[in-house]
Amino acid sequence: MSETAAPSYILPAALTGRADLARLVREIETVDGELEAQKVRARGEQVNYRLPNMSKPLSDFLDQNKQDITNDQTRMGLVENLRKLKDHAPVVHMTFAVEADPESLMQLVEYMRRELHPYTLISVGLQPALVAGAYMRTPNHVHDFSIRELLSSKRDLIVQDLEGLLRG
Amino acid sequence: MTIWWLAFILGALAAVFFGFVWVIVTLNRVGGGGGGSGKGGKTKQDLDKAYSDMAEEDAAHLFNKEFREELRNRGRLRFEKIIDENAMFLKQDLDMTISQLNEYMKQQITDKLDAEFTEYARAMKEAQELALTTLQKTAADIETQRANMAATLQQDAAAREAKIMKAYEENMAKIIEHYVVQALGDQFDLKAQLPYIVAQVEANKQNIAEDMRL
Repeated sequence: MSETAAPSYILPAALTGRADLARLVREIETVDGELEAQKVRARGEQVNYRLPNMSKPLSDFLDQNKQDITNDQTRMGLVENLRKLKDHAPVVHMTFAVEADPESLMQLVEYMRRELHPYTLISVGLQPALVAGAYMRTPNHVHDFSIRELLSSKRDLIVQDLEGLLRG
Repeated sequence: MTIWWLAFILGALAAVFFGFVWVIVTLNRVGGGGGGSGKGGKTKQDLDKAYSDMAEEDAAHLFNKEFREELRNRGRLRFEKIIDENAMFLKQDLDMTISQLNEYMKQQITDKLDAEFTEYARAMKEAQELALTTLQKTAADIETQRANMAATLQQDAAAREAKIMKAYEENMAKIIEHYVVQALGDQFDLKAQLPYIVAQVEANKQNIAEDMRL
């Protein structure tokens, strides 16, 4: 990705895809709206913000990045930067043979953010014909890590073994 | 030779016929009798008449009814004898002619039959040879066709075997693959597959990372 957000955030593992990021942005906007409403109701006095219930991804995000959401500038910066991040973070489309459980997805996205790109997002698909493994599509390439592809690539081995078996 | 015999027989028959006619004419002349002529002068006429009467009387006496009847019987007997003899000759001639004709006919028929049999035997031999030749040719053709068919069948069988083997080898791999796919399809959840996926990503990490940085 050529354009990523200027400040470096740590994306929690629970934020696996672009939809999660968009949900996070909306939640921050909601929180921002709520806090703005409390500020207006305070009529210029010192405000003791009562934070609304936040989701775990947002809580994790704020904890990991040590961000104070009660700060107006911080909220504005988060919304702006996370929108940029949502639009420009590299998305890897991964198709699995079975339903992807959140825990596995989190492990996978942690690995990819650690080894490949810190803002990696995953778009998940399902294709039972893959048998096992995954079909991975990066912005410019396709990588087939499925068992189906593995068997097809090793078909010559089966043919050779069969020929050897038939010809004694 | 036979024609001459036939002509001779016909001539003999004609001679017998004419002899028979001649005998009948002679007997009629004898049966009819001759008449006398008169003399001139009265006395002489009378005398002649007397002689004539006497002659007539003698003639009547000489050729009376019994004598004529006897002559007639003798003639009849002689005529019957002649007719019997001629009939006998005719019968002998006819028997001989018939015998010769039979012999001739038998000879002709035998010759004809011999010729026909010879021709028939020749035709049969030719037909037999033709049939034999045809059978030999047919046998040779059948043998050739059998050899060709055997060669074709061997080639076809070899080609078919190779085709089956090829299809078997190709499809067997697919069958095994399909079997593995069906057998393992639902056996692993993503958690079990994750190490393999991570290992594959790790193996291609460089390419993927470069692609994501673009």
